[in-house]
Amino acid sequence: MNALHTLSDITAWSGIDVLEHLDREVSVPVVDGPQAQGDLIVVPHSMLTGVVTRQPWTRTVPVPASGIELLRSAAGGNPHSLVADEDACTWTAPVADPRGLALGIVEVTGVAYLVHPEHGATGIAPGRYVIGRQRERGTGLYGAARLVAD
Amino acid sequence: MIWNSLRTTLFDGVATAIRRTLPQPLSTVSWYGQQEAHRVGYYDAIRQCGLVGFGALDSELLDAQAALAGATGWWWAFERVCVMAERPCELHTEPSPGGSEDERRLHHPNRAAIEYPDGTRSFVHHGTIVPEWVVLDPTAERIGRERNVEIRRCAIERIGWDAYIEEAALTLVDRTGDPGNPGCLLELYDSPGGWGAPGRILLAVNGSLERDGTRRRYGLPVPAWAPSALDAAGWTYGISGSDYARLVRRT
Repeated sequence: MNALHTLSDITAWSGIDVLEHLDREVSVPVVDGPQAQGDLIVVPHSMLTGVVTRQPWTRTVPVPASGIELLRSAAGGNPHSLVADEDACTWTAPVADPRGLALGIVEVTGVAYLVHPEHGATGIAPGRYVIGRQRERGTGLYGAARLVAD
Repeated sequence: MIWNSLRTTLFDGVATAIRRTLPQPLSTVSWYGQQEAHRVGYYDAIRQCGLVGFGALDSELLDAQAALAGATGWWWAFERVCVMAERPCELHTEPSPGGSEDERRLHHPNRAAIEYPDGTRSFVHHGTIVPEWVVLDPTAERIGRERNVEIRRCAIERIGWDAYIEEAALTLVDRTGDPGNPGCLLELYDSPGGWGAPGRILLAVNGSLERDGTRRRYGLPVPAWAPSALDAAGWTYGISGSDYARLVRRT
């Protein structure tokens, strides 16, 4: 997995295809800071300590080679998928989050990738991160926020 | 599968739009016809697969209903007379997002999604029934007057957020580089008056290219208290502006 460098390497390995207009020869960096993919954000857990927590019914599962579908987008129904080598990553969900944004916690020991047909791929370096959704101000009576679906 | 998919497409999509073309909104109009084709399709599939034996009378009735669904619009049968309505002469749809069974919804980018020979028509933007101006002549001035949030949103999508913000001459509050998205800007604008609760609009640029090689710009409504573009962008993801400023990559 460490040998994966380009978008085409990752699509071939994961079996998740991306739209043909994306540059497949582009190298995909593996980063340990916060990063966004469309309406999802990957944030080091340290930025949200005490905000995003486990619940009694929270479960941690290994991310299979076939990947985990995190969120499907509105237009065209394209999913954000989390893929990783066997035993390189775990996924913890559902979690408690008073902001109502977190999808779960990802614990990476090898390298994990977030892949989306329209956005391509991005690498997640070893560490503990919260993957969360994006929101916008609702325009209703009390202006409650609503989740963005891109 | 046939039932649900067709029912969503016809009953929830097409029939709702047709109902809106009626001169005055009637709470209930009973009708039989085209948009009930899910019933006909469902039983026809059962018959074709031979799952249930159909009696001669059942078969005849189903054939008659199939012929009606294929030949006329809504119909109302009385003792000696049957009233039949025209079928639409134009009907444009697109796949429904998230549809698991090939459901479709009404949509046409620049004309009526459904139209009758007499000119009666209904405009639909990605499944949302909208007034004519949203499709034919969306302007910032009309958007500013529109009270319905969904309709306003459809109209802004028609002209594009960046064109709208320029045309509406919204006041720029803050502008900064988008961290993790090199060469792209985050811009924070004050919402125009008359938009309900006061707020601001964050204009951002997608991290990945569209098919045509451009990057899509999109607007997100954010709270009025957001002091800077970075704080506003951070708020959308539930983190502080200073944390968002550390974003290393956006795809």
